[in-house]
Amino acid sequence: MTIPSGEERKVKFLGGAAIDGAPVAYIVVLAAVVAALCFIPFSVILALGGSFPIAQGIFPLVGWILGPIAGAIASGVGRLIGVFVAPHTAAVPAVSVWSAMVGSFSAGVMKSEGKRKSWWLPLTIFFILEFLLFVGRAIVQNGVSPRAAFAGSFLDWSGILLFALPTRTLAARWLRHKNIGVVAAGLFLGTWMIAGVTHLTAAMITYFMSNWPEDVWVMLIPIIPVENLFRCLVGTVIGSGVIAGLRAIGIVKPTEATY
Amino acid sequence: MGTPTLIATLDKVSYMYPRSPEPVLKDISLEIYKGEFLGVIGPTGAGKTTLCLTLNGIVPQFFGGRFFGHATVVGLDTLDHPISTLARHVGTVFEDPETQITATSVENEIAFALENLKVPREEIRARIPRVLEAVRLEGTEKKHPHELSGGQKQRLAIAAALALQPELLVLDEPTSQLDPVGAQEVFATVRELNRELGVTIVMASHAAEEMAEYADRLILLAHGALVKTGTPDELYNAVAYLEANDLRPPQVASTFSLINKAGRAVPKIPVRLEEGLQTLAAWRQKAQLHVQPPTAFPRPRIPSGEPLLSVKDLHHIYSNGTHALAGVSLDIHKGEYVLIIGQNGAGKSTLVKHFLRLLEPTQGRVLVGGVDTRTLTVGELAQRIGYVTQNPDNQIFNATVWDEVTFALKNLKYPREEVVARATESLEAMGLLAERDQHPLALPKGDRARVVIAAILAMRPEIIIFDEPTTGQDYRGAKYILEISRKLHASGKTVIVITHHLYLMPEYAERVIVMGKGTILLDAPIRQAYHEIELLNSTYLTPPQAVFLARALGDRHTYPLLTPREVAACVAGQPIEGEI
Repeated sequence: MTIPSGEERKVKFLGGAAIDGAPVAYIVVLAAVVAALCFIPFSVILALGGSFPIAQGIFPLVGWILGPIAGAIASGVGRLIGVFVAPHTAAVPAVSVWSAMVGSFSAGVMKSEGKRKSWWLPLTIFFILEFLLFVGRAIVQNGVSPRAAFAGSFLDWSGILLFALPTRTLAARWLRHKNIGVVAAGLFLGTWMIAGVTHLTAAMITYFMSNWPEDVWVMLIPIIPVENLFRCLVGTVIGSGVIAGLRAIGIVKPTEATY
Repeated sequence: MGTPTLIATLDKVSYMYPRSPEPVLKDISLEIYKGEFLGVIGPTGAGKTTLCLTLNGIVPQFFGGRFFGHATVVGLDTLDHPISTLARHVGTVFEDPETQITATSVENEIAFALENLKVPREEIRARIPRVLEAVRLEGTEKKHPHELSGGQKQRLAIAAALALQPELLVLDEPTSQLDPVGAQEVFATVRELNRELGVTIVMASHAAEEMAEYADRLILLAHGALVKTGTPDELYNAVAYLEANDLRPPQVASTFSLINKAGRAVPKIPVRLEEGLQTLAAWRQKAQLHVQPPTAFPRPRIPSGEPLLSVKDLHHIYSNGTHALAGVSLDIHKGEYVLIIGQNGAGKSTLVKHFLRLLEPTQGRVLVGGVDTRTLTVGELAQRIGYVTQNPDNQIFNATVWDEVTFALKNLKYPREEVVARATESLEAMGLLAERDQHPLALPKGDRARVVIAAILAMRPEIIIFDEPTTGQDYRGAKYILEISRKLHASGKTVIVITHHLYLMPEYAERVIVMGKGTILLDAPIRQAYHEIELLNSTYLTPPQAVFLARALGDRHTYPLLTPREVAACVAGQPIEGEI
């Protein structure tokens, strides 16, 4: 390399339009992508009369690209717009927005580095409490058999387990890998765990609203994992292309990005 | 004359983007003076854009990376002051006005940055008419920016930058996407701002003729280093040096340099057309101009037989009511090399999009191989007609070069062996086989254009359309792409090129279609078309300088010369070889 003769300077981003190290322009773009993907439904929520948007597949990706805070803002804003422009995919609007924010925030803290390396811990406790409230209410108050409740919440507890165990940091490492195939594996694993805890966050609230009976729990046992596979597929396909593209063009990386 | 005041300085500035292994700016020391018009020239990849972005702090504050040395603007160190502060002093205009314009009306566009900087409402209202007047866009306040022409949009971008009342205006290739008259408008506006309002100008541009005309001083960058500084006369005089650095001097300088080389002494190589014409007039006055009339040029081939592409009374009206094509009829035969020219908005792209059925005729018909395109699918047409758009990035969406080139073939269910054979062949032809596993967006723009061409070649189309293929390319990059078009033509393909860069085309095109306001104004061999100066002017085009010099050669005769080499040979009394 040619050795420059000038004094090396410390490069810093001074003020300007950035939130938590992510340029506002990125947040706007990803919020727009989330909003656009809210138009496309992929499944019907029983009893609630709405549907899921395909955008759910990229909430984790938004967190990995922007970091926890900027990611939560982008997904939250995008989902909020989606609630209005695509109400057919927002059965319970407030829950849709909240869970989108939780999804991107959780994804953003996965890398466990620097000053934020312990952020995953209170989040895990929060998810465990949500799970206890969700499944506890089903079993104790509504009389759902423990077997049906645990099988029906497979996605939720698998998400918590993967998030609490070193699989969280393993997925984050894979996302940073040079090989795009390994990145794809990280996207799949990461999307599964984050979509799991996001689902739990939404399901806990909606269950308190509608208290679906055991028959519904049983029916959901095969459906929920299949739906989540679809989310993972969306996250993996879109995420692989986006991360490969971002790396190729060498665009500035937000400070808290995981990829 | 007092001591010039410094407005910006670069002291041993080097810069590396986050992932670049080598500095893209290397030890640049430069002083920019208040009120000057500084031109930045250099081939693609020389660091011109990075230098421009250094002056407003975007490099390194936005991109990160490693920065060495010191850069100051109006006394502010660009690393110690936020971009928003620097933006009050440095206005920036980029290559593509579309990427800068965000508002839904001209006045809102100008107000946008001011509102962000919390300028009081009354002050904003006062500044809007002032800057619109400065760029000659009065009366367009309420218009949607999309209603403006390319040149007007770029002037709007300049107006928006000017509204901040910057002391320094940085323009990065502001005319590369404009027709020649649009480019002239922008240059004239910038010069007026420079001369009348005293705004300091830094402009990076490949437009050699205009830079020679308007700049006070030029700097030449090569591989990130500042290699030469001087007046346009000093730099553009050094024709051989420029060519060695992949730069194109103004045609008038090339012409007189060739005359000089041919043995006719030219004491001072003119770099502006006016000076060249004066030199020829002076020679004639002194009876020193002994023109050797060119021998007859080969007659253009008259195509016969069934046309490959036929357009009959084509009209197209866009949904907003714009009548983009008004009764266009033409035939293109197999093996022709056709150049389509015309001002921005003349209907060139609208016309070629009908060939691929990307647009449907409002009235009239388009026939490909005698078959009405309405009976063919876009997929079927894409196998016969390849279309390289102006911006290759719009056509690239795969993660590797290989996937990009094989994408269409796989979708058309070609056997695997055939896909591999065709993709390998077209990547080899484009010199891109070694890059097959790279992400297309990681390649330089010129290479990205070649990826798109490779993907099209793999389909083995009969007709290949290049829509503004040389935009944003330096001379070498532009010639490279045109050489590809020449090879394709030589292999029997029908080639259609749309471009504003008329000076590049004499060595390639045979036939020229001049469009204006949705109609065909002229369909003629290139030697005739380029000399129809008034007609070209009517559609905001201007022929290359060599044509004007050729017309100044004879009192009574008009020699159909097109290039500096031809003009020089004619003046030096040599036979014309190697052209056309």
